[in-house]
Amino acid sequence: MEKKNITIYVKVWRQEDANTKGRFQTYTVEDVNPDMSFLEMLDVLNENLIKNDDIPIEFDNDCREGICGMCGVVINGTAHGPKSGTTTCEVRMRQFKDGQTILVEPWRARPFPVIKDLVVDRTAFDRIMSKGGYISVRTGGVPEARSILVPKENADQAMDMAACIGCGACVAACPNASAALFVGAKVSHLGLLPQGRPEAKRRVDRMVVQMDEEGFGACSNHGECEAVCPKEISITAIARMRREFLKAAVG
Amino acid sequence: MRFSMSLFSSIGKKLFMGLSGLMLSGFIVVHLLGNLALLNPDRDPFNKYAHFLTHGLGNAIYVAEFLLAAIFIIHIVYAVAVTWGNWMARPVGYAKVTNAGGTSRKSIASTTMIYGGVLIAIFTVMHLYHFKFGEVIMYTTKDGQQIRDLYAVVYQFFGNIWNTVFYIVVMLILGFHLSHGVWSAFQSLGLNGRRFTPFIQGFGYVFAVIMGVGFIGLPFYIYFLTGGAQ
Amino acid sequence: MKLDSKVPSGPLAEKWDKHRFDMKVVNPKNKRKFTIIVVGTGLAGASAAASLGELGYKVKNFCIQDSPRRAHSIAAQGGINAAKNYQNDGDSIWRLFYDTIKGGDYRAREANVYRLAQVSNNIIDQAVAQGVPFAREYGGLFANRSFGGALVSRTFYARGQTGQQLLLGAYSALMRQVDEGRVDLYPRREMVDLVLIDGKARGIITRNLVTGEYESHVGDAVVLGTGGYGTAYYLSTLAVNSNASAVWRAHKKGALFGNPCYVQIHPTCIPRSGDYQSKLTLMSESLRNDGRVWVPKKAGDKRHPNDIPEEERDYYLERKYPTFGNMVPRDVASRNAKAVCDEGRGVGETGLAVYLDFRDAIKDFGRKTIEERYGNLFDMYKEITDEDAYEVPMRIYPAVHYTMGGLWVDYNLMSTIPGLHVIGEANFSDHGANRLGASALMQGLSDGYFVLPYTIGNYLGGTELPKVSEDHEAFKEASNEAKARYDKLLSIKGNKTVKEFHKELGEILWNKVGMARNEKGLKEALEMIPKLREEFWQNVKVAGRPDSLNKNLEFAGRVADYMELAELMAKDALHRTESCGGHFREESQTEEGEALRDDENFSYVAAWEFKKLGEWELHKEPLVFENVTPTQRSYK
Repeated sequence: MEKKNITIYVKVWRQEDANTKGRFQTYTVEDVNPDMSFLEMLDVLNENLIKNDDIPIEFDNDCREGICGMCGVVINGTAHGPKSGTTTCEVRMRQFKDGQTILVEPWRARPFPVIKDLVVDRTAFDRIMSKGGYISVRTGGVPEARSILVPKENADQAMDMAACIGCGACVAACPNASAALFVGAKVSHLGLLPQGRPEAKRRVDRMVVQMDEEGFGACSNHGECEAVCPKEISITAIARMRREFLKAAVG
Repeated sequence: MRFSMSLFSSIGKKLFMGLSGLMLSGFIVVHLLGNLALLNPDRDPFNKYAHFLTHGLGNAIYVAEFLLAAIFIIHIVYAVAVTWGNWMARPVGYAKVTNAGGTSRKSIASTTMIYGGVLIAIFTVMHLYHFKFGEVIMYTTKDGQQIRDLYAVVYQFFGNIWNTVFYIVVMLILGFHLSHGVWSAFQSLGLNGRRFTPFIQGFGYVFAVIMGVGFIGLPFYIYFLTGGAQ
Repeated sequence: MKLDSKVPSGPLAEKWDKHRFDMKVVNPKNKRKFTIIVVGTGLAGASAAASLGELGYKVKNFCIQDSPRRAHSIAAQGGINAAKNYQNDGDSIWRLFYDTIKGGDYRAREANVYRLAQVSNNIIDQAVAQGVPFAREYGGLFANRSFGGALVSRTFYARGQTGQQLLLGAYSALMRQVDEGRVDLYPRREMVDLVLIDGKARGIITRNLVTGEYESHVGDAVVLGTGGYGTAYYLSTLAVNSNASAVWRAHKKGALFGNPCYVQIHPTCIPRSGDYQSKLTLMSESLRNDGRVWVPKKAGDKRHPNDIPEEERDYYLERKYPTFGNMVPRDVASRNAKAVCDEGRGVGETGLAVYLDFRDAIKDFGRKTIEERYGNLFDMYKEITDEDAYEVPMRIYPAVHYTMGGLWVDYNLMSTIPGLHVIGEANFSDHGANRLGASALMQGLSDGYFVLPYTIGNYLGGTELPKVSEDHEAFKEASNEAKARYDKLLSIKGNKTVKEFHKELGEILWNKVGMARNEKGLKEALEMIPKLREEFWQNVKVAGRPDSLNKNLEFAGRVADYMELAELMAKDALHRTESCGGHFREESQTEEGEALRDDENFSYVAAWEFKKLGEWELHKEPLVFENVTPTQRSYK
């Protein structure tokens, strides 16, 4: 039952703003309870920094239960840390050893510029979404819910795809900084439902153009995205997007 | 998007790379089959086959060569464009990258496609220089035809240890390239399915091994088993 | 000030239709001349901004996160209610209305709750058309479930992510309007003040959280959909950035605050494990369907739970409530957990937890069945606590989850400041004193999609709104005030961090304005909070610069506001000497220790008007029940 507290060395990326060069700095955090979450460990570190008149480390986070998609850093070279199917806020300190040095880096991609320290700007995702990540319906002007039948299999698959929380780990982990899994998940979610079919072509077309304009890389099927995705979205999404794209291109 | 523009999108580029890659895979299968004739101690079948390709098809061979070259070039140009874009997409790299493991298919092969590809492209030019545009030794077949003895050129070439080692190394790289390239091509074409994808991934490996072993087999056979003697 | 609820006349079922007809309609050509400011992008904010944009208004939409999709609505797991009666189990608009108003312990307006039940069906239609992947059966129709003790299966769900999926639906509608140029998005902005001109809400001041700049935004109406104030307690199930600052700024500018003491405390959360804890994680209350809640009979029993024999366990919910047992409503379950812990019978290292035991369920149904039902929750529990709930009973403890109180609004969702509309959890809402499970999503979307877009037109169409610009004196003044406030926070350079103050405040609230309140404790709280506030403004230590991303500074501003709101919560709790819903006054209970309502004296909404710091005036909006008869809840 009794667990021993541990000491952790955190080597973390510090960067004043987008235009300043960053660097790594190492901090010591003592007396870390293994039941702590990774972010709570950073909280403790920040409290120490504040008390010592230092500047706390900025990192994005919000719900702290793995659903809002706000948090996300690369821990020891892996987006969202070593455990699969989790977000950064779900990483627990018991995954690390006493005396271990943890390397913490922000998401790195041209379309995700660093705002400060570990905080990056992910509005590129919103811009992609604005180009077609929706079904064009007006409030109120919709059919009775029951009139749209959706085969269970499609509903389940669409749900698998819709589980994306937009955290950007796919981009961070991709050797090419590609956003294919994110866009693929969205295209697949809506494309798998009968409601989404009427504008399927327009959707994939416009979203892909925007994705390219943002400067994401191309997917070369490494599959790192799937492995780090906290919602374990399969790269089937990317293949489906490509099929939709091909259909749109020739049709 | 206009159709012509979609060819230059990140997905369009990969579509073309996948498609051209599969075509090139088809080409090397034919090439490998042709190579088998070199294992025959009788040089005539191989030389006749080579002669047929260069002289027996009329102008069709120029069309075929042109198409093959075009596919090659599309594959290379798009590869360079895609890779350049990918490099640009991450101006500041990570201090440390750990492979995520699990379902990831990231491998040495998948991360070195461009390097392997460049080597193979250089190799291809050399290969053409060695053989297609190499020394022309004429001889008379048993049935009295006066044709080029490409068989002899090949045997001479692989009588040299360095040539042999070089070819074996490049063919190893080709195998690597294919081990990621084949299934990846299908994925790039959007051909993915619960049952199909595991199959094609397995097939890709088997294909890569067959091609690798097949192409390595010939220089290996010539140098180590025949010593280059014909 | 006379509170006018503006509830239309006529029979309950016809009020909303009649009202929609009676309201002014803005000429479509004129709509684009109106700018509406919507603060918040949760279910309420995003659905409102999208719908208003569609109608042709110019909308400016603000959120503190990097993307509108991250609002905390996203965390709702269970589902959303609607009176569709797809399961043919006798549900109806009337039944949903009745359950909701009864669940709220008769402290909500009949007309509002009825309207909520009416539009609940439209919400499902809307969400389905947007592509929300609700669970389906093999025939392609909907799978529904019963939730939170409801007797009918009216809850629609999308795996454990109903909130996220509904929010993505609203967000996608919003992004469509962004693309069409009707909505301008302003992420990473915090509203730091409301601007009034001629007594009407005409704009807001925001702080750009990246650059630290103060920005003025002019509008013809302002809509707040900024959520609840549960993080006042420091530890809660809310997102760590959730805050009440926008609402509080509006309150200080004249918007009355309704029922601040109504706080919902959810019974099945993972207990805190240490001082470092930053938030509490909720586990679906469906766990109580199969788990049995118990504590040792002896106080201070430190044995391993599996070593405590059956006869030494107290299954207190089953003992006290033989009919409902472990399924009693949230407030009853929470209160009883606190009571046994107060007796020293709590478990775990802190003594602040009770067991939720699946041993018998596993014995009865087999481990496989339990895995199928709750596998993901058991995994999550293991992830956080490092304990295997299949082998050792889960430990649970209540946590602050939702605030029923909020800015007072009339039937049109307008606050006492003309032009300031408040939607979703931010208003004092349709949930009365207690919210039922799967009702929060319903209310947020009802306000945003189907109520506000109509009622705001009535305001805009019937109000004279002269043109104003950002150069107006009122904007400059508000902007300077806001800047001064943040600069002050940075300049104090004291000895205690923001977090330390926040924790201290949370402790006071949790202990004295928490699950069970009494006069003595509330009076103590009313002494402690102002003292703490004073200390805060003298001794807080805020790090960093004003002109860059500085979360510590953001938090300081929010905690500063909580220091004031907390006092009002205690004040409201003190004045309401009855027990109702989420508000349990120890002085007002039945002989069996159950909550005792006092309809004679407290059948009203308490709406507080801010006079000056520490001083409020109470206004009462009487609650009239013409269609239902308030009864005492009993779960025996």
